[in-house]
Amino acid sequence: MIKISNLSKSFGKLEVLKNINLSVDEKEVVVLIGASGSGKSTLLRCLNFLEVAERGDIIIDSEKTDLAKTNLNKVREKVGMVFQHFNLFPHKTVIENITEAPIFVRKETKEAASSKAMALLKKVGLEDKANYYPEQLSGGQKQRVAIARALAMEPKVMLFDEPTSALDPELVGEVLQVMKDLARDGMTMVIVTHEMGFAKEVADRVIMLADGNIIEEGHPNDIFVNPIHERTKRFLNQIL
Amino acid sequence: MIFLENIISIFSEHGIAFLKASWMTIAITAISLLFAMVIGLIFAGFKISTSKILNWIADIYIGIIRGTPLIVQIMFLYYGLANIVNLDSFTAGALALGVHTGAYIAEIFRGAVQSIDRGQMEAARSLGMPYSLAMRRIIFPQAFKRAIPSLANQFIIGLKDSSLVAYIAVTDLYNTALSVQGENYMPFETYFVVGVYYLIIVLIFTWVANRIEKKMDVSKPKEGIIV
Ligand SMILES: Nc1ncnc2c1ncn2[C@@H]1O[C@H](COP(=O)(O)OP(=O)(O)OP(=O)(O)O)[C@@H](O)[C@H]1O
Ligand SMILES: [Mg+2]
Repeated sequence: MIKISNLSKSFGKLEVLKNINLSVDEKEVVVLIGASGSGKSTLLRCLNFLEVAERGDIIIDSEKTDLAKTNLNKVREKVGMVFQHFNLFPHKTVIENITEAPIFVRKETKEAASSKAMALLKKVGLEDKANYYPEQLSGGQKQRVAIARALAMEPKVMLFDEPTSALDPELVGEVLQVMKDLARDGMTMVIVTHEMGFAKEVADRVIMLADGNIIEEGHPNDIFVNPIHERTKRFLNQIL
Repeated sequence: MIFLENIISIFSEHGIAFLKASWMTIAITAISLLFAMVIGLIFAGFKISTSKILNWIADIYIGIIRGTPLIVQIMFLYYGLANIVNLDSFTAGALALGVHTGAYIAEIFRGAVQSIDRGQMEAARSLGMPYSLAMRRIIFPQAFKRAIPSLANQFIIGLKDSSLVAYIAVTDLYNTALSVQGENYMPFETYFVVGVYYLIIVLIFTWVANRIEKKMDVSKPKEGIIV
C-alpha cells in the first residue's frame, strides 16, 4: 500500500529524516514511536506531502509520486490524516466539516455526502451532534469528528499524529476505541502514539525512530518485551 | 442661548441641504469602500502570495498610500487623471478614496488571513482540497469574520476622510458646511451642525456593523438544538 525508499528530509541544516525505507502492507497497522524530535511527525507529513522530502520515492496505492507531474491533491484524497489538535473547521458544523471535501473535492451531491456523513457519525458515536459547532464538543468528540471527516474521503490509508496527546486522560479511551474499530475493519493505518497499551493491542508492527533513522522494528510483542537497541530500551523505560 | 437659536435657524434654513449633502457623503463613501474592498482583496492576495514580484508590487502600493497625505492623493488623481481622461469630481473623489482605503483594507485582510491557525490550511489540504478552494472555503471565511471589527473601524475612517473631497468640489456634507458658513458668518454653529450629521451617520453605521458581527457569531448550534 505504501512504499517509501531512501527518503530524506531536512529543515535548513537540520537533517530530520535520513534515508528512510519503509513499506506498509494493505490492512497493516503500523505504530511509529520515538523520542520528541526524532522525526515521527515529519515522516507522516511526508506521506501526504504536507512536507516535501528532498530525496527519495514514495509509492502510495501502487502509484509513484512525481512532484513535477503528479497531482498531489489526488494523492491526498487517498491519504486521510488526523492531527493532534483536531484542526476542525470552527465556522462549520460537525456535518459540514465532514461533507465539505466530499462535496467540493469529490463532487458528491449534498444528499449523498450528508447520508454518508451521518453513517460515519454513527460509527464514531456522534450522530446526535451533527448540527453542533466544534467549540461545543469535548476534545474526544472533536477528534472523533476529525476521524469521520478524514474517512468521508474514503481514503486508502489513514495517518494519525498523536491523536490522543491533546486529550484529557478520561477522553483518550473513546478515541482509541474508534481507531481499534477502524483497524478491525481493515483500514491501513500509520499511527504516531505514546499509548503503548493500544499499540500492543492493535499494531501489526512497531517502528522505532531515532534521529531520523529507523533503528528497530518488529511485532509489538518482540519490541516491547525484548527490545534489542539500547535507545529503544531507554525510550520504553521512560514511557511505560 | 444665542448659540441654540443659531443652531435652530441653521437647521431650519439648511436642514434639507445638509440632508442632501449627507446622501452625497454616504454615496461617495459607499462606492469608494466597495472599490476599496476589491482592491484590498487583490492586494492582500498579492502580499500573501509566494511570488516575490507580487509581494513587491503590493509593498510599493501600500507604502505610497501610507506615506502620503490623502488630500495629496485626491488632488493628484483629480488633476493628474484630468490630463488623460475626463473625470467628474465625484468619480475622481470616489476613486481616490477607494485607492486610499484599499491599501489599509489589504493590510487588514492580510493580517486576518495570517492569523488563522496553520492547522486549518493543513487539514483542508490533507482532505485533497486545492489551495484556492481551501483559501476560499476554509481560511477566508474565518479571516473575514475576524476582520470585521477592523473593517468597520476602517469604514468609519473612510466616511470621515470623505470630507476631503469637498476640496475638489464634490457637494458633500463638509462642502455644504463650507458654503453655509460663508453665507451666514456663523462658522462655529455651522461646523457644530455638520458634526452632528457626521456623528449620526457614524452611529447608525456602527449599530449596523455590530448587528452583522453578532449575526456572524457561530457559537449557537443550528436548528434550535439546545446544548
Ligand atoms: N517546519 C519546520 N521547520 C524547521 N524545523 C522543523 C520543522 N518541523 C519540524 N522541525 C524539526 O524537525 C525535527 C523533527 O520534528 P518532528 O516534528 O518530526 O518530531 P516528532 O518526532 O514528531 O516530535 P514530537 O514527539 O515532539 O512530536 C525537530 O527537531 C523539529 O524541531
Ligand atoms: Mg510530532
